[in-house]
Amino acid sequence: MRSLVHLAAVTTLALAATSAHAQEPEERKTGFTRRDGRLLVSLGLQDLFKTQDARRLLSGFTSRVLVRVAVFRPNQPEPVAQSMRHTEIVYDLWDEKFRVRRFEAGGKMETLVAASASEAIALATALTAFPIVPLDRLEPGVTYRLSVRADLNPISQELLADVRRWLARPSARSRMGSGESFFGSFVSVFVNPRIDESERQLRLVSQSWVEPAR
Amino acid sequence: MRFPSLLSLLVLLPSLAQAQPSVAPLESETAQPDGFVPSYTIERIEVRGNHKTRTELILREIALSPGDTVAADDARVERARLRLLALGYFLDARLSMIKGERRGGAVLVIEVEERGTIILNAVYLGTSEATNVWGGLDVSERNLLGRGLTLGAGFVSSTRPKVDGAKPALAFALRMAGPPRVHGLLLSGNALFSQGSEFFRARGPSTEPAPADFVAVNLRRAGGVLGVGAVLSRTAYLAAEGRFEAVHAELPTLSDRDLGLGQSQPIAFLVRDGSSRLGSLALTLDFDSRSDPVLPRAGRHLVMSVEAATPACASQYTFVKVTAQGSLYFPLSIGHIFGVHGLLGGLVGDAPYFDRFFVGDLNLLLPPRAFGINFSTQPSRDFLGTNVADHRYDKLAGRLLLEYAVPLWRRHGLFYRGDAFAALGIFTMTNPGDVSRHGASLGQRLPADLTADLGLRLDTYIGIFTLSVANALGRLPL
Repeated sequence: MRSLVHLAAVTTLALAATSAHAQEPEERKTGFTRRDGRLLVSLGLQDLFKTQDARRLLSGFTSRVLVRVAVFRPNQPEPVAQSMRHTEIVYDLWDEKFRVRRFEAGGKMETLVAASASEAIALATALTAFPIVPLDRLEPGVTYRLSVRADLNPISQELLADVRRWLARPSARSRMGSGESFFGSFVSVFVNPRIDESERQLRLVSQSWVEPAR
Repeated sequence: MRFPSLLSLLVLLPSLAQAQPSVAPLESETAQPDGFVPSYTIERIEVRGNHKTRTELILREIALSPGDTVAADDARVERARLRLLALGYFLDARLSMIKGERRGGAVLVIEVEERGTIILNAVYLGTSEATNVWGGLDVSERNLLGRGLTLGAGFVSSTRPKVDGAKPALAFALRMAGPPRVHGLLLSGNALFSQGSEFFRARGPSTEPAPADFVAVNLRRAGGVLGVGAVLSRTAYLAAEGRFEAVHAELPTLSDRDLGLGQSQPIAFLVRDGSSRLGSLALTLDFDSRSDPVLPRAGRHLVMSVEAATPACASQYTFVKVTAQGSLYFPLSIGHIFGVHGLLGGLVGDAPYFDRFFVGDLNLLLPPRAFGINFSTQPSRDFLGTNVADHRYDKLAGRLLLEYAVPLWRRHGLFYRGDAFAALGIFTMTNPGDVSRHGASLGQRLPADLTADLGLRLDTYIGIFTLSVANALGRLPL
């Protein structure tokens, strides 16, 4: 019995370590500029879109991109500052052009027209001199790092929970028997991996930097 | 100005509501330009890629029709896509539009990629002191004839138990259910045939599982359940079921338990000798506000059921069984989850043993039943020193379980999500006569034991299952 407990514990820890390693976000070279008392970043996130996603921009329905950027100190879970940009891309079937609308923190919004799908993707995913934090909130001599998450077509938590609950409705209760399996219990529902918080996610970190003296 | 999608994202990301108001001025507009999001009138709907699934079933799920006006960011479109995916019949589902015949018109195109819909519900395999090996399978087809019908079948079989007079177990089950519906009624039906043995102690100490100390009741059950369910609200579901079974029991000739020192007492076999009938009606109310039914992060789940067996249902057993189960989930700031699970059950009347609260259903460390058949003589381990080892099928039961879960990964692939979990709990089971017995100690009135579990809960492409220490221990004669 003791060996079984040890085996399970070791397996659990090994899986946890493996998964933790698998979840380590990629580090991506990020450009930093300090201007007008703000830290600005430049970063490309075009790989959020695969080839088939670019074709789907022609679907006539709105595609959405949400980019969240947060500034962290090493080993501290709470961000020093965070910012976001939400972009909507829509292709007008009859005018045959892409319209792009970008919302940013603070209520700023701009509307653009793109000539092609790739141009629309660039407008949604390229951060160019994107303002993150006032410089007076960063301490000189301290090391910082950016955490970036981009989501293609994010889904509200409420809708996601509704769908998952509906998915779990018992299609047939088996009062007369239990549903146990060898070393495990199965539940006869599918959870389609495409029913997620978004259709695709990109998680990155920047290189770390030491904030210079001012 | 169309804000709902942005607002929903802010709900998704509460922290963004406090995002720094320090964004540099951009070329902004103060007003929303007219017609940023175009709208179209659906001229017709084309469904592509559904080689098996009926087109009518897909059209019913998307809840959009020719003549409807749909905006490019219409929330109904995303909901329709998710509902198609949630059916479980498709690997992918996409909605798009192409130009229609008249300006402002469009053809709505639904493209689906079908998947296999035969799934494994259960694999039964185990061994115990009493039964060398038992095994079986339970599988379902969830999209029968492309109509969304569920047809499931399962069986379990065992070697002859080592208990005197016992017979090998054999059980078959068949299930059918109508297509899943958000609105309207869900019809379902189960049928079961099983024959096997249950073991009753005839001699020896209660803590010993030796098969030679038991006698066997051989039982055959044949019957079924017809059910109808309805979604009452976003979080409430009500089901009503009618059940009928023909039961045939062969009781052993030895009907007294040897208590030693020349003392004995009659064995309560808890089932009628020979042929009998069991009929009942049941109501189940299910409140579910969990964030996720498989690996919840927050919310609560409460299930209450009442089952009544009466002569009016052609039953020779008369009883009322009430069960309430609840779970609460609390997200912790470090991303972990604390869960509290409670169960309370009570039964009044002369229910057969297989409808009473079974120790293996309460104690995670004991072998569970398969299709209602028990294969083990293992008593509860009695960590608290009460006389819980004497209790196997009782009328009153309660359990409190505390669980701590740590999310391990979220990614695409075969193993989609996984949580490690540890649980510790206490359960009690007793009978009204024991509770009120004069001069009995607390341990005799309310025998209790500890139960625990540790393992992984996996959400995979072929279903959801738990890999745990308790499951392993329950299936090995330790």
